[in-house]
Amino acid sequence: MKSKKRDQWIAFWMVPAFFNVFGLVFVPLSWMMPPRSPNAPEPQMISFMQSHNLLIACALLTLVYGFAPVGNSIYLIQIKRMSVSPVFRYTLMVGSITGAIVGMLFPMFCFGLGAFRSGYRPSILLMLYDFGYLAFIGSLGCFCIMWMAFALAIILDQNNVLPKWLGYYTLWQYVTELMAAPVWISKSGPFAWNGLMTFWFAMALYVPWQIIVYVCIYRSIKNQPDDELESAWLHQTSPATDVRPKATA
Amino acid sequence: MVLFVVAYLLFPIFWPPLSPTLSPEEVAAFFRDNTTGILGVVILCNLIAGSLVPLFAVTAVQISRVTTSSSVFTYAYILCVGIGMTAFILADYCWGVAAFRPDRDPQLISLLNDMAWFFFIAPVGTVIVQCLCFALSVYLDEHSEPIFPRWVAHFNIVVAALLVPSAFTVLFKTGPLAWDGAVSFTLRLIVFAVYVVVTFLVLLRTVNRQGADRVALV
Amino acid sequence: MTAVATTARRSIPGAPSMWFFVIGDLIIFGCYFVAYMYYRGQDHTLFLHSQARLNLDIGAINTIVLITSSLFVALGTAAARAGTVTDAVRLFGIGLGFGAAFPLLKLFEYVPEIVGGVTPGTNLFFMFYFVMTGMHLCHVLLGLVVISFVIRNLRTAPTPNISLAETGATYWHMVDLLWLVLFALLYLMR
Repeated sequence: MKSKKRDQWIAFWMVPAFFNVFGLVFVPLSWMMPPRSPNAPEPQMISFMQSHNLLIACALLTLVYGFAPVGNSIYLIQIKRMSVSPVFRYTLMVGSITGAIVGMLFPMFCFGLGAFRSGYRPSILLMLYDFGYLAFIGSLGCFCIMWMAFALAIILDQNNVLPKWLGYYTLWQYVTELMAAPVWISKSGPFAWNGLMTFWFAMALYVPWQIIVYVCIYRSIKNQPDDELESAWLHQTSPATDVRPKATA
Repeated sequence: MVLFVVAYLLFPIFWPPLSPTLSPEEVAAFFRDNTTGILGVVILCNLIAGSLVPLFAVTAVQISRVTTSSSVFTYAYILCVGIGMTAFILADYCWGVAAFRPDRDPQLISLLNDMAWFFFIAPVGTVIVQCLCFALSVYLDEHSEPIFPRWVAHFNIVVAALLVPSAFTVLFKTGPLAWDGAVSFTLRLIVFAVYVVVTFLVLLRTVNRQGADRVALV
Repeated sequence: MTAVATTARRSIPGAPSMWFFVIGDLIIFGCYFVAYMYYRGQDHTLFLHSQARLNLDIGAINTIVLITSSLFVALGTAAARAGTVTDAVRLFGIGLGFGAAFPLLKLFEYVPEIVGGVTPGTNLFFMFYFVMTGMHLCHVLLGLVVISFVIRNLRTAPTPNISLAETGATYWHMVDLLWLVLFALLYLMR
């Protein structure tokens, strides 16, 4: 019996695939993560910025970054099932569009640019290095509102689509974005972009959250009653005429 | 769409597209000599980037009418459009900034040019996923009278497949995959142009058929 | 926040998810405190000297303000449980008033500091100071919003949501507790 929710499942499973590529790109391939120090000595920084792996990382990311929207859409369809106003959905939508460019694609390009052409002055390479890391770790606003919207939607939801404690955990996600603000100021120490307070604590919170969110959503998709699906009207046994549901946004 | 045509006609300034192998001095010289033309294209492209959005918006609405269990592909489609559009406009900005003050340091102009090309390539990723979402929606349409004919899905898959090689453009400075090469540039633009035209015609028919049907959820 | 059924044998007051949040928040702040202690140990003199530039008076007043506010919130919760809703509203209102004084006083603390050239970028101590107290301030503001909702619910709802009041109170007490530790660490500890 074909699953009625095939579209949701296909989209759902695209996401771990994407995250794995994403992780590969940013860590073992390019060694962009964990972040290097803002204070790295110049020769080190230059050789990093000119490594060919950065270009490969760029190419791969260009190919797959389109799947980040799919991941965000998974959040969106769960929010849609909640009893809260569409405002939360739209906030997440707008935040994720901005965030994908500002926080993911552009930083990667900064690193690729340095490696693309040899012969750039060190000062230019340093600027790209700064720009890349600051944009990647310091991209606050868009993700702030995304997680705030998501968290509030979960907490205020009366349909209990996702568990309430997840909403609170998402609030912590929002807070880690706030905590990232000092990276624009500090060049060393715990508040720099590779610092204990801004980066490592944030990662310690973020990685489990990302996994937990997907586990919760998996259960939510699985437990969604058939009559709540958007295609439910098609399978109704009552002799309804071919009247599709009205437009809501 | 008309703007697109006009822009294509003006595009010869960028034809052939700057070879990635040009040294910074040569790039700077190019921007200095062709300032007016470049700025013209830049301004036009800033405008036309927006003009594609309504087309994609209508597509999104029609996708949302497809009978699947959720709106996940509609959302993904919308997000991709937003991201792709932004990247495209950023590419324009970079070229515009490069042409704005042609006597800037050649290394900076070369950097801006490179950045512009990176951003110009970038929408490939989102367009591929857009096509995939579109195709999947069509394949999974459960209604006895699907919104879109089946071949639209196949077409989208083919387009996506043809665009995949372009993503690897940044790895090459010469050859067909370089940003001025046959695959990354010519093929990509032709495929994209065909895609836009075909989608436009398909949508025309679909919207006309919509008739009395109420529009479905987004 | 979900309304927990008011059975006779309720194990914990307020929504369980709030307790998850409270305990988690305390742990997270705990990590921050440990980090602070570690970095303080690394550069003791710097921290000591910088600490001397803090406004201890406002800090102390804020502590009293928050404790008093918490007291009234606790009284209000008890009143809500006892069913005397008008009392509860009044007590929560007083608690809210005291709580609202906190950000105001903070303003008097931050502005002269920043105008006087002491910013988060000045040195590591002040970065910690601004980030942690700033984070706490956000918690306070959020708490004020929550208490306002509790008051509104007590006043207007036909049957007041006791669980909401308890949940809000739990959160507010946590905010108070955090401040006590913050105050001791940042302002007092020599």
